[in-house]
Amino acid sequence: MKKLVSGEQITKSFQVGNEQHHVLTNVSVDLYEGEFVSIMGPSGCGKSTLLYALSGMDSIDRGRVMFDGMDLTSLSDKELADLRRTRMGFVFQQPTFLKSLNILDNILLPAMRDQRKNVVALTETAKNIMKKMGIVDLAKRDITQVSGGQLQRAGICRALISKPQLIFGDEPTGALNSTSAQEIMDLLASINTEGTTVMLVTHDPKIAARTERILFMCDGAIVNEMRLPRFTGAGLEDRMIAITAKMREIGI
Amino acid sequence: MYSKIVRNDMANSKLITCMTTLFVAAAAMLITLSAVLIVHLSGAIDTLMKQAETSHFLQMHSGAIDQARLTEFAEHHDRVDEFQINEFLNVDGAKISIAGTTLAHSVQDNGFSTQSEKFDYLLDLDGHAIEVANGDIYIPVGYLKDGTAKLGDTMMVNNKTFTIAGFLRDSQMNSMLASSKRFLVSEEDYTAIQKAGTIEYLIEFRLKNLSDLKDFEEAYIRAGLEANGPTITFSLFKMLNALSDGLMLAVILLISILVVAIAFMCIRFTLHTKIEEDYREIGVMKAIGIRVVDIQKMYLAKYGVIAVIGCVLGFAFSFLLRDLLLENIRLYMGETDNTSLVWIITIIGLLLVFITVMAYVQSVLKQFRKLSATQAIRFGTTYGKARHANYLNLSSNKMLPINLFLGMKDVLSRKRLYATMLTVLLLATFIIIVPQNLYNTISAKSFITYMGIGNSDIRIDIPQGNQNAQHVAAVVKTLERDTAITDYTVLTTKKFTTIASDGAEESLKIELGDHTIFPVEYALGRVPVAQNEIALSVLNAQELHLKVGDVIPLVINGEKNNLTVSGIYSDITNGGKTAKAAFSDRSAESMWSVVYGTMANPSQVEEKITEYVDTFHFAKVSGINHYINQTFGTTIHSIGKVSIAALVMALLLCVLVTLLFMNMLIAKDQTSIAIMKSVGFTNVDISKQYIARSVFVLLLAIVMGTFLANTLGEFLTSMVIASFGAAAFEFTINPLAAYVFCPLAIISVVLVATLLGTLRAGQLKIMDHIKE
Repeated sequence: MKKLVSGEQITKSFQVGNEQHHVLTNVSVDLYEGEFVSIMGPSGCGKSTLLYALSGMDSIDRGRVMFDGMDLTSLSDKELADLRRTRMGFVFQQPTFLKSLNILDNILLPAMRDQRKNVVALTETAKNIMKKMGIVDLAKRDITQVSGGQLQRAGICRALISKPQLIFGDEPTGALNSTSAQEIMDLLASINTEGTTVMLVTHDPKIAARTERILFMCDGAIVNEMRLPRFTGAGLEDRMIAITAKMREIGI
Repeated sequence: MYSKIVRNDMANSKLITCMTTLFVAAAAMLITLSAVLIVHLSGAIDTLMKQAETSHFLQMHSGAIDQARLTEFAEHHDRVDEFQINEFLNVDGAKISIAGTTLAHSVQDNGFSTQSEKFDYLLDLDGHAIEVANGDIYIPVGYLKDGTAKLGDTMMVNNKTFTIAGFLRDSQMNSMLASSKRFLVSEEDYTAIQKAGTIEYLIEFRLKNLSDLKDFEEAYIRAGLEANGPTITFSLFKMLNALSDGLMLAVILLISILVVAIAFMCIRFTLHTKIEEDYREIGVMKAIGIRVVDIQKMYLAKYGVIAVIGCVLGFAFSFLLRDLLLENIRLYMGETDNTSLVWIITIIGLLLVFITVMAYVQSVLKQFRKLSATQAIRFGTTYGKARHANYLNLSSNKMLPINLFLGMKDVLSRKRLYATMLTVLLLATFIIIVPQNLYNTISAKSFITYMGIGNSDIRIDIPQGNQNAQHVAAVVKTLERDTAITDYTVLTTKKFTTIASDGAEESLKIELGDHTIFPVEYALGRVPVAQNEIALSVLNAQELHLKVGDVIPLVINGEKNNLTVSGIYSDITNGGKTAKAAFSDRSAESMWSVVYGTMANPSQVEEKITEYVDTFHFAKVSGINHYINQTFGTTIHSIGKVSIAALVMALLLCVLVTLLFMNMLIAKDQTSIAIMKSVGFTNVDISKQYIARSVFVLLLAIVMGTFLANTLGEFLTSMVIASFGAAAFEFTINPLAAYVFCPLAIISVVLVATLLGTLRAGQLKIMDHIKE
């Protein structure tokens, strides 16, 4: 498998008052094409910060992040934006949509910047993705007129509109009930099956149990890693038990 | 505790606090300034006319005079309080020079007088009646203002030398719009120069009761007393005194009202934004059991401090500007007696601003009662909530670049939010264009047609005399032969008798001739053409109770003829009571004649005037440009200054408001910006979107503002102008200035302000705003 993202010795800290607060300390991690990876750990351990650092959305103090051979730390804001728009997709915990646009327009937004002339085909693509996510009927709705679960699906649709190689999810199911959460995970799994690399942050073993590789973080460092076979629909309980056992073992 | 919260809060939102204070200060300053100006102007005019004891009724007369008969009339008329006849020695400008400069080109009738005995005093700049020594001369203050003379200069009158000992205020002829100017000399000197000119008599009355003026006027006419010259009454003196500064004052007032409106809109806007920012906190305070009244008190305390500081600042600013604006009024009319009134009005103005701000804050705070604590904590927003405009969809947009589209869509989705910016920019456009158009209009040559004077190049005044007819013939002969003159017309004023509706006979001065060549502007109707048509000045029409289409009986050649009123025009010449007709008449003796002419090459007007001054020594030759310069010069100049000040101020307002608005918008939009950036929009994209919003609002504002300026602005201005006697007013627009330069100026400053205001948008960290 080809290496897609590689974080080398990532260090990042925040200034809180006079104190330097270390969030990431010399973290190195590789992500391969087609992988379905989750990052787990207690609150404040730096998992979201690592995700944003790997995506180039947040700057780092030291170290290097390579994406498909490019050093993200040396790219300009503009080049990073281009990269985010064309090759990456993001799904956040809270719905992040523009209130002035309807659902369909919000989904089209990143792609329309470069492919305005192609609007008919793009709309077709968007509707296909929405159909797959089960929200095609909501296309013309205002974002305040749909449920949280539906919004999160719309978020995934938006992440997919530019056919990215890699999707980052920051607690994508964090604000949802467990049924909706599992539905979202079904969708992410099917995207992954089609070849898109997926990396997400979660603190829920039930969510992590759907992925194939789990990175455990604590106090700004990756302390352990666990690999699971591809999830086929059965044995979720066993996978969860294995993850919790591992967590207990490493003390997080 | 309140003071601590207020201090902390102000320190945390310095920009908003500063801006709000500035706007309150601007409102307070303008309101006080306007109040002070109005009180000063009206007060100073009253004071001047009181100190000078201005005549209630003045009849100018040239030719023979029967003093005994006049004295008898005055003594037997019980309404008369005082009566006097003053002499005015009218001297040709060519015989006068001040500090080496000849007055040959002056359009004023410059003449000499001695100090009055009973009333109509000529005052010094301290408001006292002047006593002049032999060899000294006091000259009209207008000549100080326009730089012709200074104290101690020498003045030559027909080879006699005078020293300028001071400047005088003349309550009757101060205004440059009044055509005569009085110079004050001693009795002895007056006798010495008497041969240099012709004597005109000022037959002056003061009445016991000013309200009897109308009856007295009729009685004077009925008595058939000396009336060979204009008749001017107290109210016209007052109007002439008010005119030049009044127009400037009206413009300042208009601007003040608009700026105050802008200031209040900005206060409203900042208040709303601030409260919205605090919404969640307010909810929390409510939730932990703090009473609404206490929360309101915190806001009131804060805005109370802002309003007080703003008012004090505004008051201080107004003090700095006051002297600048009052300079002219002080020079021409002196101080007002009402200094206490100025203070009272200033304080009332400041209180008014303070109370309005507080009342406004109070009304906004009322919504706190309705606010639900849970809603505030959960959603944290009030107004400006997005409702997407359904008719503009990204999925059906092929035309517009995405950033432009998103900018426009945002404006349309949050109309209420952008309405403030739109209105402010619209008013700014209005503030720029209206004074500019007014300046253009009054400085255009055609403006004099609103004042009762035809638009020509050269004007030749032939005064009354036995040889009037010969003189006119001589002028006509010369003009006829002169190839440089393309067109000319002779207008001769004669006196006729008309019968008023109550049967009383009244005399009417009618200017006869072809009025179609150099027409004046008609407020109603049109120029008289047929033999049986007549046009009346506004004042005459009012006095005779006539309107267009009415019939007026006129005695011509001893026979009664019925003439139809064809039009009504405004006029400030000859006391404002004039009439124009086209019928031919050989009977009545002419009072004076005016010949108007145009030249093929207007650049040669100066040369031609010099030539004609030599040829027609009996007449006064002047160029219309000169005339405008000397009569309206000060007014045009002050309106010009005001229009530039308005431009600068409006542009400054645009910058301030745009900066403020963009800053708040970005504060509000942080999440949206973070979303955009997270899905791959660059900083440049986001800047473009803000520029698109600005430009979209700006273009709307400019189009609407220009439209309003040319309709409502014209209407408002015409009302102001109408109150000074001119009617049916239309803007003369300089299209390049009004439609190109002004919009360009606004667009550029707003763009720069938008760019500066949105710099922060690019630096925003996605992480800080996208995570819960």
